[in-house]
Amino acid sequence: MTEKKEPESRKAAEEVRIGVYVCHCGLNIAGSVDCAEVAKFAATLPHVVLAKDNRYTCSDQGQDQIKKDIKENRLNRVVVASCSPRLHEPTFRKTCEEAGLNKYLFEMANIREQCSWVHLYDKKEATEKAKDLVKVAAAKAALLEPAEEAEVPITRKALVIGGGVAGIQAALDLADTGYNVYLVEKEPSIGGMMARIDKTFPTMDCSICILAPKMSDVGHHPNIELLTNSEVTEVKGYIGNFHVKVLKKPRYVTKDCSACGECVKVCPIVVPNEFDVGLAIRHGIYTPFAQAVPSTYIIDMNVCLNKDGVVVCDRCMKACERQAVRYEMTPETADLEVGTIIVATGADVFDPTALPNYGYGKYENVITSLEFERLINAGGPSGGHLLRPSDKQIPKRVAFVQCVGSRSDKSGKLYCSNVCCMNTIKDSLLIKEHWPETEIYVFYVDIRAYGKGFEDLYKRARKAGVIFIRGLPAEIVEDKKNRSLWLLGENSLQNELYKIKVDMAVLSIGLEPRKDSELIQRLLTLSRTQDGFFMEAHPKLRPVDAATGGIFFAGCAEAPKDIKDSVTQASAAAARAGILMAKGKVTVEAITPIFYPEKCKVCGLCVKVCPYNAITLNKDLKRIELIEAACGGCGTCAAECPFGALTQKHFTDEQIIAQVDAVTENSPEKKIVAFCCNWCSYAAADFAGVSRMQYPPNVRIIRTMCSGRVAPKFVERAFARGAATVLVAGCHLGDCHYINANYQMQKRVERLQKKMEQSGLNKERLQLLWASAAEGERFASKIREMKTIVESVTSKEIEASQKVFEKALTGV
Amino acid sequence: MPERIKHKPLDIDKVKPPKAEIHIITDQCKGCGYCIQFCPKQVLEESKEINARGVHPPKIVDESKCILCSFCTAVCPDFAIYTTEKKCAEGC
Repeated sequence: MTEKKEPESRKAAEEVRIGVYVCHCGLNIAGSVDCAEVAKFAATLPHVVLAKDNRYTCSDQGQDQIKKDIKENRLNRVVVASCSPRLHEPTFRKTCEEAGLNKYLFEMANIREQCSWVHLYDKKEATEKAKDLVKVAAAKAALLEPAEEAEVPITRKALVIGGGVAGIQAALDLADTGYNVYLVEKEPSIGGMMARIDKTFPTMDCSICILAPKMSDVGHHPNIELLTNSEVTEVKGYIGNFHVKVLKKPRYVTKDCSACGECVKVCPIVVPNEFDVGLAIRHGIYTPFAQAVPSTYIIDMNVCLNKDGVVVCDRCMKACERQAVRYEMTPETADLEVGTIIVATGADVFDPTALPNYGYGKYENVITSLEFERLINAGGPSGGHLLRPSDKQIPKRVAFVQCVGSRSDKSGKLYCSNVCCMNTIKDSLLIKEHWPETEIYVFYVDIRAYGKGFEDLYKRARKAGVIFIRGLPAEIVEDKKNRSLWLLGENSLQNELYKIKVDMAVLSIGLEPRKDSELIQRLLTLSRTQDGFFMEAHPKLRPVDAATGGIFFAGCAEAPKDIKDSVTQASAAAARAGILMAKGKVTVEAITPIFYPEKCKVCGLCVKVCPYNAITLNKDLKRIELIEAACGGCGTCAAECPFGALTQKHFTDEQIIAQVDAVTENSPEKKIVAFCCNWCSYAAADFAGVSRMQYPPNVRIIRTMCSGRVAPKFVERAFARGAATVLVAGCHLGDCHYINANYQMQKRVERLQKKMEQSGLNKERLQLLWASAAEGERFASKIREMKTIVESVTSKEIEASQKVFEKALTGV
Repeated sequence: MPERIKHKPLDIDKVKPPKAEIHIITDQCKGCGYCIQFCPKQVLEESKEINARGVHPPKIVDESKCILCSFCTAVCPDFAIYTTEKKCAEGC
C-alpha cells in the first residue's frame, strides 16, 4: 500500500483521464439498452479518453481489460456502467487497486437494476436514460479524489442474542474456535423451541435428547458466558467495536442452588407453566423443564407473594438447605464490549384465535401443533399419552389442519412457514406408532416434502394409513354431546364436500416474526422484509450477513426454517463472524467528513445533528473537534453546515452538485431528480429492478450514504436548473442506518416545502419517500405517481422555481 | 413466553393447596387494618360490626383463597388473628 501512495497522489494532480466501460451483462442490460451506443456517447463526454462496451465487465477478461487500459492509457478514473454498486462496486474497486489506482477513483453507473430491468419494453428511453446515468457517473468521477481507509481493530469477542438451537450452535462454534462468547437469552433457560418439541423430522430423533448435551456444553464451556433471564437494552458502536448493555433480571436464587426441588414443594403459588404452553402447572419458584440450563431455579416475581417488596412468605427460603434463595436481588446491567453480533432471536408461533371458524379457544379439543408436541412428549404434562383435553381420553380419530396462519392473504401470513407439513407428517406417525388403530386425517393445501429424507417420511405416513385430504376445512363445529368435532369443507381433488367427525383437531400453526423484533431492529439498525423477518445483505451470496457490518443472522430470526437449516445457518454465521475476528482489524470506508477550519464559525449546528457524537464543541478553545473513529459516515453534518466548512469524503458538495448538473443538463423539465440513501431507498430501487417492476424512465437517482447528506442546496440547485420534480428518499423513521440522521432530512425537506409554498410554488414538486430495502413496489409506485406531477408542471411554473432558487446557482 | 394460554393445565387437580382456617379474635382488634392491607391474597376486608374496643374488626371475604402464609398473624400488633391448617378429615 505504502509503495502505491506516491504514484497515486502524483496521478491525482495530473489531467483527468476517465475510462468508461459499458457492460452488456449478457442480455440483462443489452436486452433493453443499446450498449454500443451508450459507449459511443460516453466517449464524447469531457475527460473521457476511452469508452468500451463488453459482454461481462465483471468477468476476468473484463477486469483484465480495465487493468490493461489503466496502465496503457494512463487512466486515472474508471467508470463502469453495469449493475448496482451494492453488488459489484467492491469487485471493480479491487480491480482498480490491483492496477495501482486508488479505489476511490472508481465510480459506477447503475444501468441494470435502475435502468434496463425496470424499462424492459422501451429500448429507446432506456438507452437515453443509460446515457444520462453514464454522464452523471463521469461527472462525479472527474471530481473524485484518492483516499486512504482507516483501520479499526476488532474486539475478539462475540455476542449471540437468543439461546435457541441456532444461538447455541453459533455460540459453541465460536467458543470452540477460541473466541469469548456472551450468549444472551431472555428466558430463564436456553433451549428455545427445540426443547419443547417431542421428536424431530425426518429421522424421529428425540428432540431434547439431542439438544440437552449441547445445552450442557454451553453451560460448561470456559469460553461462553451465559446470561439468561437477560435482555439486550442498548447497542452502540460499529463493526468490530460494539458496546452492548444487557439487563440481567434477578432470578432471586443464587448459583448455590443444587436444583433439589425442595422449595417447589412448599411454594403455595400455582400458575400455568409457559414452557408446557399452559398444559401443566408450575409454582412461583420453579425450573421451566428438567433439562434446563442453567439448572438454577427462579422465582417468578410477578406471581410471588413477595412481589410488593414485603417478605410475606419465606417458605422456599426456609426449605432451601443451601440458602440460595435471596428475595433482595435487584436487576443488574452488564456492559459488554464485542466485535461481532449474531442475531438468533427465533420466531413466535401464530395465534389461531385470529381464525374464529376453527374454534380455537372456544372448543377444548381444538389444539395447536405446539400443544400437541407437549402432549405427545413423555416429559410433558400427560406423560406422553395423547389425551384430548375435554375428557382426558385417548382420541380415536384425529385431524390435522395445515397452513393455519400461513399462505393466506385473508388470515395470517402470506408466506409458507416451511416446517408445518413435515411436522404434521411426523406427528401423525408418532400417533400411529403408539396407537396404530387411530384414524388420522390431514387436511392440506399442498404437501411440501422438499428436503432430504422428507419424501420418504411422507410415503411412510401414507403407507401407515394416514389419510391426506386436499382442501382445508371451512369450519370446525363442536358436537355438544360428546365434545367431538365436525370438520366441514371441500375436497378439491375430488370436487366433493366432506363432513368428517373426529375426537380431536390439531391446528398446524405457522411461524411468525418475534413480537419484539422491531426492538432488535432498532437496537442494531437492521432491515426487515415485508414478512417481518430480518433481511440478509444478499439473498444468495451473503445469506447470513446483515447489511450492517459485523452483524449476522442464524435460525428463524431470518426466516422460518427447520432445525437442520437453523444449525447450518448458525455454523455459517459463526464462521462469518470468526473470519472478521481472526483478521483482528477491519478497514472503514473513507467517507468521513473533511473539515475546513477557516470557514467554520463555531455555530455548533453540526454538533447537534451528529448521531454518533463524533463532533464536539470545545468551548474553551472555541472550536469544533472531530473524532474520526466514532464517525459513522452519514454526512448529515456536511448537509447541515451553512458555511461549507464541512463536507463528506467521496460525497463532496462539488461531486453531488456535478451530478445534479449532469442530470439537469438536458430537458430537466421532464425529469425526476431523486436522492436515495444507500441502505434503504437505493436498495428499494434495486429491489424494484430485481423484481422487474416497471416504472417511468424519467427518474435519475443520485446515491448518498444517508438521506441526511442531502443538503437543501442540492435540491435548490436542481430546481434552479429547471428540474420538474425532486424526490428525497430515505429509510423509514426509526430505521435509519445512521441512528436518526434521516430526521434531519425530514426537517430540511419540510422547510424547503414550506419555502416553496410561500413563494407560490407547487410544493408537490418536492416529494419525500420512506422506503425500506424490501419496498421495491413502494419506490416504483412513487415514481409512477410523480410522473403525473411532472406532466402537470407547466413551463411557467418551472421558470418561477428557477427564479425562486436562483441563488443556488452561484456561490458553490 | 409469547404464546397465549388457552387450555386448563391437565394436572391442576393434582396440586392440593393447603386449606386454611382463619381465626379472628374480634374484641382484641384495635382496627389498625394491617392484616387487610398486607394480605397478599386479599382475603380480608373491614367489617361493619363494632367490637368491644369500638372499632371495625376485619372479616373474611373468601377463606379458600388463603394460602396460609400467616403474615396477618405476623403483622397484627394485638395478637388478634391467626391461621391454622384444616385437616382433610374435616372435608376437603
